[in-house]
Amino acid sequence: MNFENITNSLAQGTASVGTISQLEKIETEYLGKHGVLNLEFAKLNKSDKSKCGQEFNAAKLKAIQTVEKRRNELIKKTEKESFDVTVPGILPPLGHLHLVTQAIREISAIFTPIGFIRRRYPEVDTDWYAAAGLNIPKDHPARDDQETFYVSENVVLTPHTSNGQLREMELMKKPPIKMINIGKTYRRQIDISHTPMFHQFEGLLIDRGINITHLIGVGNYFVQNYFGPDRRIRLRPHHFQFTEPSFEIDITCGVCQGVGCRLCKAGWLELGGAGMVHPTVLKNGGLNPDKYSGFAFGWGVERVLAMKYDLPDIRNIYTTDLRILNQF
Amino acid sequence: MDIKLPDSTLRKFLFTRAPAEKIAEALTLCGPSVDRLHKVAADYVYDIEAITNRVDSASAFGIAREAATILPLFGIKAKLINNPYDIQAGELPERRAKKLPLEVEIRDETLVKRFAAIVLDGLVVKDSPQEIKTELELAGERALNNLVDITNYLTLCYGQPVHIFDYDKIKGAKMILRESKRGEKITTLDDRTHTLRGGDIVIEDGAGRLIDLCGIMGGKNSQVDDQTKRAVLFVQTYEPKRIRKTSLYTQERTLAAQIFEKQPDSCLVIPTIIAGVKLLVKYAGAKVAGDSIDLYYLKPERITIRLDLKLVNDLIGFKFNAKTVNSILTGLGFTVKKLSASTFEVTVPSWRTHDVTIWPDLAEEIARIYGYFRLAGKLPVSAYLTTATDPLLEIEYRAKSFLANLGFSEIFNYSLVGADIFTKSQMAIDHSVSLTNPLASEFEYLRRSLIPSLLMDLANNSGKVELPIRIFELANIYLVDEHNPKELPEERPILALASQGLDYRTAKGYLEALLVKFRLPNLTFTALDEETGPWQVNQTAEVYSGKHFLGVFGAIKPAVKSAFNLKSDIYLANLDFRALASLANTASTYTPISEYPDMIEDITIESNRTIGELIQLIKAESKLVTKVIYKDSLKNKHTFTIHFNNPKRNLTQAEVNHIKEEIPKATLSNNPG
Repeated sequence: MNFENITNSLAQGTASVGTISQLEKIETEYLGKHGVLNLEFAKLNKSDKSKCGQEFNAAKLKAIQTVEKRRNELIKKTEKESFDVTVPGILPPLGHLHLVTQAIREISAIFTPIGFIRRRYPEVDTDWYAAAGLNIPKDHPARDDQETFYVSENVVLTPHTSNGQLREMELMKKPPIKMINIGKTYRRQIDISHTPMFHQFEGLLIDRGINITHLIGVGNYFVQNYFGPDRRIRLRPHHFQFTEPSFEIDITCGVCQGVGCRLCKAGWLELGGAGMVHPTVLKNGGLNPDKYSGFAFGWGVERVLAMKYDLPDIRNIYTTDLRILNQF
Repeated sequence: MDIKLPDSTLRKFLFTRAPAEKIAEALTLCGPSVDRLHKVAADYVYDIEAITNRVDSASAFGIAREAATILPLFGIKAKLINNPYDIQAGELPERRAKKLPLEVEIRDETLVKRFAAIVLDGLVVKDSPQEIKTELELAGERALNNLVDITNYLTLCYGQPVHIFDYDKIKGAKMILRESKRGEKITTLDDRTHTLRGGDIVIEDGAGRLIDLCGIMGGKNSQVDDQTKRAVLFVQTYEPKRIRKTSLYTQERTLAAQIFEKQPDSCLVIPTIIAGVKLLVKYAGAKVAGDSIDLYYLKPERITIRLDLKLVNDLIGFKFNAKTVNSILTGLGFTVKKLSASTFEVTVPSWRTHDVTIWPDLAEEIARIYGYFRLAGKLPVSAYLTTATDPLLEIEYRAKSFLANLGFSEIFNYSLVGADIFTKSQMAIDHSVSLTNPLASEFEYLRRSLIPSLLMDLANNSGKVELPIRIFELANIYLVDEHNPKELPEERPILALASQGLDYRTAKGYLEALLVKFRLPNLTFTALDEETGPWQVNQTAEVYSGKHFLGVFGAIKPAVKSAFNLKSDIYLANLDFRALASLANTASTYTPISEYPDMIEDITIESNRTIGELIQLIKAESKLVTKVIYKDSLKNKHTFTIHFNNPKRNLTQAEVNHIKEEIPKATLSNNPG
């Protein structure tokens, strides 16, 4: 019987290892389910097994003791070893979601809890959805402000997410209509605060009894959740063909909290347009303006990003330079 | 439309003790926005954004009318003074010079809404008085001489464009107002010669020369100069669409054009010409030398609107009383007749007939003058019983997040591209959606593939960022429906991954990780059978889930790389994201863990089949094969690690050995999988 030889060779092995993981390897090799000791015992025939049972158990016990003794030594040794905890970790590759993706996620996460459904509508749309159906007839001076790209006389790159208004009315057929439409939009301009492609988020709520104070409520809710609890909005008179009344919405400046500073217009920063849905637009969407009213707003994703992160040039959002993109 | 308004000009029409800062604040909150207030010497200048449909407010008088109604709601007294609508016809100075003829012929009455003119004699051209010069300069206009300055000053005060011709340069003392013919030429005051497209409103003199590009700019050949003694003072309102059209294509976006295309009030034409004559008498020695000409005055349609206070209050969300409504509307020039305790008949003043036509327009007037800032916000309670949105939106975000977590950086490229990056990518740009009015040649088309953009992105980062680079974009491509080119293009979401500096298996591993994460069933990669686009044909595969085509994965060919100046290995995956999302199994199902341990064995197979085929064959061999992991290859000998398991009982070595013996036989048959 070779049990003694085995325990001896185990003892030699344990003495020669320097780390606990090496020891654990030897432990498995000798004491594991398919280890040397078990295999040796398995070779015996039935009568030999009963004869050598005691010897086998003693050898096993000895082996365990040998391993445990060495383990304790090694534990003591490693506890005393000097180890530089400041050695840098090996990083896996780190990727990055684009700022616009992050912002869209954040914006929809703000509107979802108050019941707005996330939508996305075509980027290339007919003039009807993008303009005429929104009460902006052909040749109307209001088209000046839109700087629209044309694919053909009747097909445009939508200059705002408002093309989703009629489409949403057609989809839902009757109120309540409560969408947050986030999508790509295009205008024919490029400068420090404009890129030819950008994103807007369009809120649309139509139901019985919707009024201006609801727009103010939702506007404040958004800016307080996106920019911070001390921010608020104000409405200024404006004109859009598809809303009546129409507003320009300002938000208190984050630097001076509305007092007025070098960064803002007397304490306020422009957020974007809004208004009560024009009766003609409701009619075009198949809804009865005597029964229903609603509000709509369309604000720039890049604009709120630039305001939040104080980005001086909006074109930087569309850089492809990974040294910049990987900062976010 | 932005205007600069000196405070001193405003106060010629507004009597108030309010300081300029207060006026600016109140206007911004309740009327036209004052973008900036500048202190200039002894004066202030308001930068005002006159709202497009409110051309009536684009003048000193127009702003004063707003301020006189708004300021009292801030507790500040204010009064409108020198109202031009109070000017009476009898105020026109009498003729004091020999009568000079002026024949006016209007060939098309639809071109002009009101046409007024008067001939003046005895003019002395000199500098304007300092006051007018200063105010014009503060308003951003160059002072020239008293005649021209007075016309500009009238526009600043009343918002009505005015022109003055040298009478002696109008041949035959005759003006024919007509539609232009295609190809006619006119040189305007700014020395630009325009070749007209036809349909523009022009004036021809007795010698057949064009002397005015109406509503846009006067002709050079009839302009007043230092020698001018006799002149025609000229005040009109025109058909707005023609003005706009001409102004846009001639690129003469003059102040006059911007006002005329927005339909200024025809009732203001005569007060303006009378005020003009008075100023010219006072500052240029003018004597009236002809009858006042006033043609084609169409009295504006009288608009009355029934106003129900309850509807107004419902739309605004505030309880206005009849008294407030009455005082706000009356202050703005509306006539209010009470029909009952809560209903009114409101008559719209002549200067508001284009922007106030329905009761919500009146609600806007009431709410804005009262002040939106005084309304308290509240959250609406409208809600859906069930909500369903496009699941693609959520899956997109999950895919993006997963890739970002794997180490990929997300890029947003413009959807608008130029032809050159497609050419470099050996891809066709034709059949793309193209723009009729692109901003530049690099933004001419809507891209029909993300690949050229991503190659460009790699090129842009070349030498700036350490390799490997991993990037992705998830965006729509735009495909023309060849059978129905007039229909809207298909917007198809594509997910494209690109890596530079990774090897084939590592790059492909990322793609497989994504597909496995979304539990796409039965993935296969099939070698590309013909050369296409930027792909290196022998290292590119079509990706399928079952029979469904997901996209292409492979290497970019050297010629394309060198066109972009790119080095190192580049692998791209181009995936139809809608297909991926529709096949993705995002709902997890529970599978119990086998109570019995796996048996794990290696096998080496000698075969000329692809590794992909061999893996499928091994899996197909027995249900007991639960996992096949490719280890390595030596020529055509391929080693795999196979996991065997039977969830019902312990496997025996004999069972495993049997399967292992069957596998090489299966690889010899003709039918893979």
